[in-house]
Amino acid sequence: MRIDELKSGMILSADLKTRDGRMLLPGGLELDDRHIRMLARAGIEEVDVAPPLMELDAEMVRAVEGYVRDFYLYVNPDYAPMLELFRISLDRTAMAVASGWKLPSPETRRAQTVEHLDDLFLKDMGGPEDIVKHETDLASFPDMYFRIREVLDSPNVSADRLAKVVSTDVGLSAKLLKLVNSPFYGFTSSIDSISRAVALVGGQELSSLALGVSTISYFKDIPHELVSMEQFWRHSISCGIFARLLAEQQSGLQAERLFVAGLLHDVGRLIMFKKIPYASREAMLFARENSIPLNEAELEVIGFSHTDVSRYLLESWKFPQGLSSIINHHHDPMTFPDPLGPAIINVADNMANAVGISEGGMYVMPGIAEQAWETLGLDVNFIRDAVTAHDEQIDQIQRAFF
Amino acid sequence: MSLFSSSISLRKGISITDEEFVQLRDFIYEKSGIFVDQKRKYLFESRFRKRLQELGLNSFGDYHKFLKFDSSRKEEMIRLFEMITTNETSFYRDTKQLEAFTDKVLSPLVADIRKQGKKDLNIWSAGCSSGEEPYTLAILLFELLGMDAARWNIRINANDISMAMINKAREGVYNDYAMKTTPEAIKKKYFINEAGGLRIKPEVAKLVDFRLMNLNDPLALKRIPRSHIVFCRNVIIYFDEDMKKRVINAFYDNLMPGGYLLLGHSESLHKITKAFKPEFHPGTIAYKKE
Repeated sequence: MRIDELKSGMILSADLKTRDGRMLLPGGLELDDRHIRMLARAGIEEVDVAPPLMELDAEMVRAVEGYVRDFYLYVNPDYAPMLELFRISLDRTAMAVASGWKLPSPETRRAQTVEHLDDLFLKDMGGPEDIVKHETDLASFPDMYFRIREVLDSPNVSADRLAKVVSTDVGLSAKLLKLVNSPFYGFTSSIDSISRAVALVGGQELSSLALGVSTISYFKDIPHELVSMEQFWRHSISCGIFARLLAEQQSGLQAERLFVAGLLHDVGRLIMFKKIPYASREAMLFARENSIPLNEAELEVIGFSHTDVSRYLLESWKFPQGLSSIINHHHDPMTFPDPLGPAIINVADNMANAVGISEGGMYVMPGIAEQAWETLGLDVNFIRDAVTAHDEQIDQIQRAFF
Repeated sequence: MSLFSSSISLRKGISITDEEFVQLRDFIYEKSGIFVDQKRKYLFESRFRKRLQELGLNSFGDYHKFLKFDSSRKEEMIRLFEMITTNETSFYRDTKQLEAFTDKVLSPLVADIRKQGKKDLNIWSAGCSSGEEPYTLAILLFELLGMDAARWNIRINANDISMAMINKAREGVYNDYAMKTTPEAIKKKYFINEAGGLRIKPEVAKLVDFRLMNLNDPLALKRIPRSHIVFCRNVIIYFDEDMKKRVINAFYDNLMPGGYLLLGHSESLHKITKAFKPEFHPGTIAYKKE
């Protein structure tokens, strides 16, 4: 919007900086006359303002509250981190509605019909190992990641050699470059080659990212009736970002690895969508109808959950053990001997669900394992800061992947 | 900047103590066979809170006493059952199963009865919710028997633990959601368009007898006439192992030799009983009483 059209009360939609990168005003700020005069003096011609917000009447505010509350029925209402997430979900949902988003009706929130889809087997006639075997017999995992690992594990590993291997896959290279150029890394100048990325980000870190990117591109033919792939990956990327933010608060963790664990925490579910679509949909309906989290519904309806499937899947794909364990234990972090990684994904998954409600997320909050949160040793206030940091990164990272 | 009070809480009223939860859970289990897992304590709390407020009760312990001793406890049990059951259902739910059922179970069975020179058929729809399943079975029979249907003596005994659901089933009027997997031709043939939705035609409705019934009541189970077929879909998933066994045994006793039990897509008799002979068909397992 041109500077002479600005009015006080408008909200800046992004940080406003001078040409040489000096911060003038932060995004989200409500402009007043003083700000507008200051911008004119600084020679700014145009700024991005958020679309005008609709005024929400009392009835609408109550509707938002009721809508959000439904997602929190399963969790401990007296638990401080949960309460904080609830308040964040409320604010975001109110903001989304004020920007024109319509609260989904109960009918649209139900999964679509999949009467034409067949399951690999009927209830109790097979297990997670059969699902995974059927999948891995048909298709093999993209081997680029393992070629990268080979280079990294060999003596005299050089950035150039690693770069050479990665560069043979044009799609992978492009995605990795987009990722390292996202605000996630905060490099001031743009990185235009893989060898530069290796030098700046590190070989191990880049190989973790390459594993994440390869895995995502593996999943293309998921029945769209069950779940919107865009929404599925948005939730996964959110979880990855939160996992990274949480990991940065701990010492001795490789943040990229937690990002990738967050990104892939639900891959077991994708295989279930492919192999047992009807049962997967029954589980979704059961979860909605009973207001319980999807993983609990999976156990009751199908007899095993998406982490049971990922356990076999990641093993047969020869994923690094550490990474697999973090993914496989995100719903029961404290049962794993080294619970820090799974605890991070457990919390990050809840945070991602909380911010996803205002974007059409369908499933109730799974609940933070209370010991998991204690393991992280964080203050409740950290949650809101992490959400702000997440919002600054999510769109660009999503664009890097898709 | 928030439209919500900074003190807005997740908790909306009194909480249930662990002791009260166990008391109520055991009480519900004893009365209905439905088992509420500890993990669902908060869910349970919020589901019942409104009812406690309506009754002017100050604790879940008082509600437990109310259910046990109040003069209106019988009526309250009916409400309680409505609060703990769910009703996800629709006409022609699980079409693959229904196709297999029609081709591999119902047709041979009908042929068999004909061969014996009879025209009687009893079906039990246990846990019928708002009636979509038993009406679907009635329609399948009309489709299979054609003109001959009128000469058959068909009885579909349908029951549910929720009075609200039984009333809705007897009313027989349905919205689009209930019809979402129903073929258009079937809608035209067996329903009447009304302002409130689609009404099941009286000739179909009259095959079905809806009654309030608790599957945890052994005497009530024995009053059901003996059946050729029992349908019990998405019900036993709410029961614990012991209750599952009791209900399945009751179905076994109720079935005539050669009769069949059909369960929901997410249920099987694996780990429950070996009394039935499973017949495997694409889309379903039919459990035969030999």
